[in-house]
Amino acid sequence: MEHLGKEHVLVRPEDYDKNFSTLNLGPTHPATHGIFQNVLTMNGETIIDTEQTIGYIHRAFEKLAERRSFYQITTLTDRMNYCSSPINNIGWQTTVEKLFGIKTSKRIDYMRIILMELARIADHLICNSVIGVDSGALTGFVYVFQEREKIYEIYEEICGARLTTNLGRIGGFERDFTPEVIRKIRKFIDELPDVVHQFEKLLIRNRIFMDRTVGVGGITAERALNWGFTGPCLRAAGVDYDVRVANPYSSYDDFDFIIPVGTQGDTYDRFCVRQEEIWQSIKLIKNALENLPEGNFHMEVPEFFLPEKQEVYSNMEALIWHFKIVMGEVAVPVGEVYHAVEGGNGELGFYLVSDGGRTPFRLHFRRPCFVYYQAYPEMIRGSFLSDAILTMSSMNVIAGELDA
Amino acid sequence: MDISSIQDQLIARFPNQPPVVDSTGDLLTLTVNKEVILETIKFLKEELGFDFLTDLTGIHYPDRELPLGVIYHLHNFRTNARIRVKAFLAINTPEIESMTSLFAAANWMERETYDFFGIQFINHPKLERILNVEYLDYFPLRKEYPLEDQTREDKDDRFFGR
Repeated sequence: MEHLGKEHVLVRPEDYDKNFSTLNLGPTHPATHGIFQNVLTMNGETIIDTEQTIGYIHRAFEKLAERRSFYQITTLTDRMNYCSSPINNIGWQTTVEKLFGIKTSKRIDYMRIILMELARIADHLICNSVIGVDSGALTGFVYVFQEREKIYEIYEEICGARLTTNLGRIGGFERDFTPEVIRKIRKFIDELPDVVHQFEKLLIRNRIFMDRTVGVGGITAERALNWGFTGPCLRAAGVDYDVRVANPYSSYDDFDFIIPVGTQGDTYDRFCVRQEEIWQSIKLIKNALENLPEGNFHMEVPEFFLPEKQEVYSNMEALIWHFKIVMGEVAVPVGEVYHAVEGGNGELGFYLVSDGGRTPFRLHFRRPCFVYYQAYPEMIRGSFLSDAILTMSSMNVIAGELDA
Repeated sequence: MDISSIQDQLIARFPNQPPVVDSTGDLLTLTVNKEVILETIKFLKEELGFDFLTDLTGIHYPDRELPLGVIYHLHNFRTNARIRVKAFLAINTPEIESMTSLFAAANWMERETYDFFGIQFINHPKLERILNVEYLDYFPLRKEYPLEDQTREDKDDRFFGR
């Protein structure tokens, strides 16, 4: 076992004669909500420094992507931020559409917005309720988890899967929203406000919760920008950067919504920003659903949209196209694109280099929490261990995305 | 800020090694010599306001003279402009200045790039592998490491492009 590095010993020899103690937080600790390790150096209850180790669930997605044709990469993106996989799926699909120069219709864009905002609600509900759990309030978590279940039922109705959705196709969707989907979304949107109100009542002005979160794990806007923060963590620090507004994709510019910002950049602000984003997402879904235009649920993209099964069995050209799509033998333009979407926890970017082959020449995922989780030592230095736990859960670090 | 003004200012600033500017893609792309990469990014950050490092990654073109590349994506929040900067390195001396003095965020991004491409970032505070195990003895995203077992005989890749 000598190849295992020095980080993995419990107490470092140089600390034997100091009063500092070394504490392993993770890799598998219930409070880290994922598999990553922090070796904390503690002075009593106060954290002096921490050494982070990540990569425990690294699956080499960027290398795998170099062997997969474009439509097969959607399944890799599911497994990054698995709390909001539809955003990842649609982010990848819009990246390929950008490379191909495909302009999708308003109906597809609005359908995508509905799904991405549902995913954002699921992501924020989990993250915020877990902040509650880590501060000792399990009740709110149980309330909102039922709502997440309803979102997953909507996914299930649309694509058949719940967590790793592989939802949608390049150029649209594989099938239209059924009346049942519309009914479920409407019902969910009608019922959610009560639950969110109830949840907010439990925590947002709760004395204990505020004592535990206000001023904990704060970061200034300047440092946050320097550390590459995006998403709710950056907005909590007071910077109103949101990819949906800065670089609108999927017709987000048709809608009117507010970007909430905080002032202190602390755990409480991150909580409040996410809470407000849930309200904005509800509004967006309502608007998109009301204004959902009639039309086709996919664009005419012969490179990626499978022909009707009936056609495949009876028509030679359809059979050839079916084969070409499944084998990834479609003509791909040469070029490189960077495309970003607003993920559940920040700017999720896809840097795609294509040399015209059936697979990407290079695909890089700009994972938001990989970039900002490195600021964690700076944010917890000098605070208590229990505050460090809350800071981590409020940063919404998703192990699958961190390690890709 | 338009493309030509960025181009003019860069040429005025670096008359000896002017960047190659390509504005045909989705973003304005500069290709600069690796010796001036730190000054170029510093100039972009401090003079032109590109003060957010969105992304930093590597690429490997095995057939080129300078096969390894480092690609930076910068963002100017005030004008909402994005820019892409590239620098290419030789395979024997894959060394380039670290951006950690300008952007704290570059730390892990550079460690990741080192981990997968073996690019050495000079003046990086802790250039160690980040996602792969410490004892890995190759750089997996280089093109000479194919994903599939090359000794397989039951599958002929010629028929499937790559």
